Amino acid sequence: MTAAGVPALEARGLVRDLGDEVKTRILHGIDLAIAPGEFVSVTGASGSGKSTLLYLLGALDRPTEGEVLIEGQPTAGLDDRARGALRAERLGFVFQFHFLLPEFTSVENVAIPMLRRKDIAPAEARRRAAAALTSLGIGELADRRPTQLSGGQQQRVSIARAIAHRPRILLADEPTGNLDTAAGAAVLEIFERLAQGGMTIVMVTHEPSYAARAQREIRLRDGRIVDVVARAAAPAATPAG
Amino acid sequence: MRAELFIAWRQLWHRKLLNGIAVLGVTLGVLTLIAITGIMRGFQTKFLDTVLQISPHVVMFDTSLGQPAPVVDQLLGGDRRATRIVRQTSTDRQRRIARPGETVAAIRALPGVTAAAPLVVGSAVASAGSKTLPVELRGIDPAVQDAVTPLRRFVVAGGFVELGGAVDGAMIGYQLAAQLGVGVGDSLGCVAGQGERVNLRVVALFDTGVAGLDKGRIYVPTRLAQTILGRPDVIDRIELRLADPDRAPGTTTQLEALFGYDAESWQETNASMLGVFDQQNLITGLIIGAVLVVGGFGILSIQIMIVLEKRRDIALLKSVGYSSKSVLAVFLLEGGVVAVVGAAIGAGLGHLVLTAMRSLDSASGMGYSRPSTFAIYERPSVYLMAFGFAVGVGLLASLIPAWRASRVEPVDVLRGAS
Repeated sequence: MTAAGVPALEARGLVRDLGDEVKTRILHGIDLAIAPGEFVSVTGASGSGKSTLLYLLGALDRPTEGEVLIEGQPTAGLDDRARGALRAERLGFVFQFHFLLPEFTSVENVAIPMLRRKDIAPAEARRRAAAALTSLGIGELADRRPTQLSGGQQQRVSIARAIAHRPRILLADEPTGNLDTAAGAAVLEIFERLAQGGMTIVMVTHEPSYAARAQREIRLRDGRIVDVVARAAAPAATPAG
Repeated sequence: MRAELFIAWRQLWHRKLLNGIAVLGVTLGVLTLIAITGIMRGFQTKFLDTVLQISPHVVMFDTSLGQPAPVVDQLLGGDRRATRIVRQTSTDRQRRIARPGETVAAIRALPGVTAAAPLVVGSAVASAGSKTLPVELRGIDPAVQDAVTPLRRFVVAGGFVELGGAVDGAMIGYQLAAQLGVGVGDSLGCVAGQGERVNLRVVALFDTGVAGLDKGRIYVPTRLAQTILGRPDVIDRIELRLADPDRAPGTTTQLEALFGYDAESWQETNASMLGVFDQQNLITGLIIGAVLVVGGFGILSIQIMIVLEKRRDIALLKSVGYSSKSVLAVFLLEGGVVAVVGAAIGAGLGHLVLTAMRSLDSASGMGYSRPSTFAIYERPSVYLMAFGFAVGVGLLASLIPAWRASRVEPVDVLRGAS
């Protein structure tokens, strides 16, 4: 459980340089706090650092400077295994490309992240996976392989994979970028429903109409936050520490 | 580990053709190992078994090792002698083992010696009708000799017992009999350089499976051999059988120290053949190793290809919480499963090949020759070795791709994808 007042996600002075010999600064000192249950969209032009910020918030990448706290826990000192465990237990990821494993059925793809957890039995993992698929309206596709699904269905399966283990935070990188309008709208409806259920959601998107459906929109330009638009009352959050 | 095993198995099954090729490589390696080892070691084991039955474990010859110092040297010292002894050994005295009865009794009392037999051996010429052939004539006490080299079990015609009872009886190799055109009950002449020509009566034929013996050896009672060779009362060697043939070199040294005669172990007698076996084993090992390494390279190349192809999947697994060790385990398990399945199939096929070989004739039988089939060496230890080697090679081959897979940084792949 997140302690009262502690942000679900917090970035403090995040700097990220990329490149081996010639360094390019992608993020220039980002400070950000996202409250538990808040639905935040991150927008900006290509190369503005949206995805880089998302990967840092999701402990998939390490910052050059600054730090990320997940539910108040600093991630800088965590090793590979501990970061993996943290992602497996507290975070869910949805990517632009569904990244479903072609050898596995939908329900198996959804269950795979839970299979490595000792606190979830395989049968329970499968049950939760089936329930997640049903909650997204694709329960009947449980035994199909990714190649037998449409783009929208594949993305729904990947969302099911992200939420089946009941994380408190969902990070989505262009989740509608590869979908047609109808499928994209369906994904947004799912996110809104999850947000109403209390899940913290950070969604990177190019699409202004989708970004506008979040409670808060963070606009990036050249690695800096240039604007923050609050569209609905967000839960109170104060920076940890 | 259950998740890693589940993922590994499913990925393997999904690429049946590719992984089937990798399995085939390991299968061929294991099949080669089991089949070649079975045939080569089978031949070697059969040869050694035959050698250890038909040949003594140790032979003590009549060659004295220590020459006494010349009398002049003994009296005056080596540096001050005024005479030079040109020839010390008497030529008119035959070489022999002194007091053979007591010597044999003393040898039998040595630890590890189960039997000892005195005999006289020499070259002779055997003739029957118009045919004349050189032979090795061995004078033995049949009952005593049978305890050292169990000749009785190689008799294929006639009776071994009759050799002891007949004053002119002879047991000859079946191939020699065929060449001379004689059989059991027939006579043949035998003469040596300094001895008398004696007519022998064939009482038994033997087939040891060793061509050199079957073509050129005659056994007769000791007294008869001494007469033919012109060496009355001479015993020129003592043959020993040991409880443990591997201890023959030690016993040889002991005999030389105790009795002062040159002695030879079966390993020294067959040194050239054992050397050939060593070379055969080395070459066989290299061939088998090469085949298995090629199988390993099959796994290596296919795994590298799969890892390259599956970078996205690896990135996904790591992003949802699988650690580098988990990813390493997935690909090591894949290599291990390929190796285990390949080894199991290879072992099964190897067993079938050896079973088929066992029933094939290795050479056509001649005359009195027993039917000869391939001697096959098939032991659980060979299967275990093949299995262990294959799994080791498989794991080693998948180590590099597995390590590369575990090093994949999900964020690098995700950036590339987006």
